Amino acid sequence: MSTTTGKQIYANYNALWHLQTMGVLDSDQSPKGWTLPDPKQKKTRVAVIDTSVAVDHPCLKDAINRDLAIDLFSSPLGTFPYQGEDATIQIPDLNLLTDVTQALPEIQNIFVQLQDRLSDGSSARYKGIEPMTSAAFSNHATAIVGLVGARPVIEKVSPDYSQSGTDEVEFPLPYMGADPTCEIVPISTNFDDDPEMMIVAFLYAELINADVILLPRDIPDPQRTEPELNQETVDGIPLGDAVTQVYVTERQKLLWEELAQLIVNISQKRPIVCAAGNSQEEAAIYPANLASDHNGIISVGAVNAKGHRSGFSGLKNLTVMAPGNDSELFDRHEVRLDEQDFEYTETGVPPVNENEKYSHFDIISTDVPGKFGYSFSPFDADEPEDGLREFGSYFCRFGGTSAASALVAGFISLGVSTGAVASQAGGVMTKSWLLSKCEQLSDGDQTFAFPVWSGSASFPDS
Amino acid sequence: MTDLNILTEHRFVVTTSALVLAREPQDAGEGGGGGTEISAMSVAGGALSSMLALNRSASNAMNRNRNRNRNRNRNRNRNRNRNRNRNRNRNRNEIGGDDYSLGLEPWRERRELHKEYDKWIDLPVTFPPTATQLRLQTIELLKKQYLRTDPRQAGRVEEIYRESGMDLSGYLRPLGIEEEGGYDATIGLVLLVLALCDEIGLTYKERFSVARPNQVEPRLRPILANPAHASYPSNHSFQSFSVAFIFSRMLPEHPASTELFRSARRIAENREWAGLHYAADTEAGHDLARMVAPVLERVCKRQMLAALREWI
Repeated sequence: MSTTTGKQIYANYNALWHLQTMGVLDSDQSPKGWTLPDPKQKKTRVAVIDTSVAVDHPCLKDAINRDLAIDLFSSPLGTFPYQGEDATIQIPDLNLLTDVTQALPEIQNIFVQLQDRLSDGSSARYKGIEPMTSAAFSNHATAIVGLVGARPVIEKVSPDYSQSGTDEVEFPLPYMGADPTCEIVPISTNFDDDPEMMIVAFLYAELINADVILLPRDIPDPQRTEPELNQETVDGIPLGDAVTQVYVTERQKLLWEELAQLIVNISQKRPIVCAAGNSQEEAAIYPANLASDHNGIISVGAVNAKGHRSGFSGLKNLTVMAPGNDSELFDRHEVRLDEQDFEYTETGVPPVNENEKYSHFDIISTDVPGKFGYSFSPFDADEPEDGLREFGSYFCRFGGTSAASALVAGFISLGVSTGAVASQAGGVMTKSWLLSKCEQLSDGDQTFAFPVWSGSASFPDS
Repeated sequence: MTDLNILTEHRFVVTTSALVLAREPQDAGEGGGGGTEISAMSVAGGALSSMLALNRSASNAMNRNRNRNRNRNRNRNRNRNRNRNRNRNRNRNEIGGDDYSLGLEPWRERRELHKEYDKWIDLPVTFPPTATQLRLQTIELLKKQYLRTDPRQAGRVEEIYRESGMDLSGYLRPLGIEEEGGYDATIGLVLLVLALCDEIGLTYKERFSVARPNQVEPRLRPILANPAHASYPSNHSFQSFSVAFIFSRMLPEHPASTELFRSARRIAENREWAGLHYAADTEAGHDLARMVAPVLERVCKRQMLAALREWI
């Protein structure tokens, strides 16, 4: 019996392949069919509901709106993490007249509290509670916002670490997100199953008039995470209720109900881009599964660099697909293994398989600099205050449908920034524009929509 | 001001061993148009290792992706862990055999915690309910005391006994590492958070000095002895929610990150079922955990990083 193992021979690839595949960048990495907007123009605002962000990353520091960034991890009505401990807030042009809370009584109460909390002169630190926004454990959203709006920059080599023989004093970081001119407002959250936190997150995005809302995570609504669960009963009890290990209060149930409606209401005003899930979900995770023709919710799945559905992604019933990494499959439907993996063995692998569909291309994005993040620096000491001493830890391999959703949010943002779609055109209208920019592609007998800015989709690993 | 020329003059190339910075030749005809690689090595002081930094996570990226991907095809993931030390106990240099315990007093973290004293000693925890409100809350506890005798609650009673000691299954089982070797730093992190929160929680208990439920309502018969400290907030709640907040902060992509919060609530509510805590104690423990999390993150940073590296 053969015991071949992979030789780990993987072709090199461009770290920005995903933007070339989507027709945003040309093969020489110049903008394809767009030019930078007038720098005086109001920046397109992308609200990202996820973890906190390493805001000092050189490719991100000009992308983040530090005045508006809000943290909901540690305090229910939010803390403004990048303003001083004793600072007071003043947020211009809050969209206080919004009607998204109509007929949602519980949310209206929260909305009133939030408006009060955001009123001029309020303390940046809510009741002295510290924000949970250190760069150290901001891995996920640091990668996410890089895909949306990172800027290419030239950094200096840190003088402290530059030794004799150094011939480069400036160091380019040729990386960008799908819209390198947008502004990003991080709305950082925790992962408690708390409907109020998500309600505040969405209300805040509405209040600050985000052009695009990106949600590269799920929302742990006990009824909606797996809606099919309550179609089953055991002992006459809906299965979802029967297996829950904690009691959900009536108020919480109501809040979850209202949150689902709030998301739909807000999506009428502005597009909400959601990751569709990484377990091949047929109709996406919640709230991506709220997407319909009548709202501005956009569910995003992932395709690999060969143009096939990524191993972990669903494809049916999703709004669009966008570039992603891949994962191996070994199931009744498909065997797709990485033959170059050192642990690969032919034993047990059927002779007719779909290994050729596997792509080793990852999505490359920005990472927390230094020893934290997805890729680690060799240095344990803090990052130099001035300049770089290495760049490997500033970028990472990333993927999942959250990466794909970030690319789509950035793509829409680029549309707004370049005037291809009007700012505040409404969620449904913006979604129609996105679909009008899509190429219809197929994978086997399935077809899907894939956003392409200019030219046609090209998959570099095929 | 965004300068896109940086992109046409240079590019990042992903190679198996590293992220490489390549420079496009000024004249495309020169050098065959293939570009020249620079030399991230020309940045002195660890530049070679910098190139390797992307690579360092690469071999593990698969594992990371699978965690994030919630890939149902997990069996292949487990294979990758085969090289880890399976014999958990043998690998643990601490006292206590099968019991989970910190091998050493976490003196370093306690020192850090006390340096940050001002940041955690007076967080805005909602004040305890009034005596009347507490009495009303005991009605729910009496109902639970009755329901406790229902055979369907037998499992819960077992949990209550188990959780009265140092039981980590509520945390480790959702994470899928209860019987898996190679997660010593993660287990160490859980123990560390429990230890530090014990101390923090006791200071709040002392401040509010709320009587235990059966001191308010003698018809309550707790199935465990009342611990020798006050009721509000519940330390079981505070500690277990702190574990959930800190773990999910470290690795939000884990499919069980939200389930940890449900486990934490279950552990906390079991103390209500046991007759030891009011519902208000559970809520206060939760709220304190949320507020104290930024301090814990700073204090536990080393251990969190060590734990994270077991996963990505």
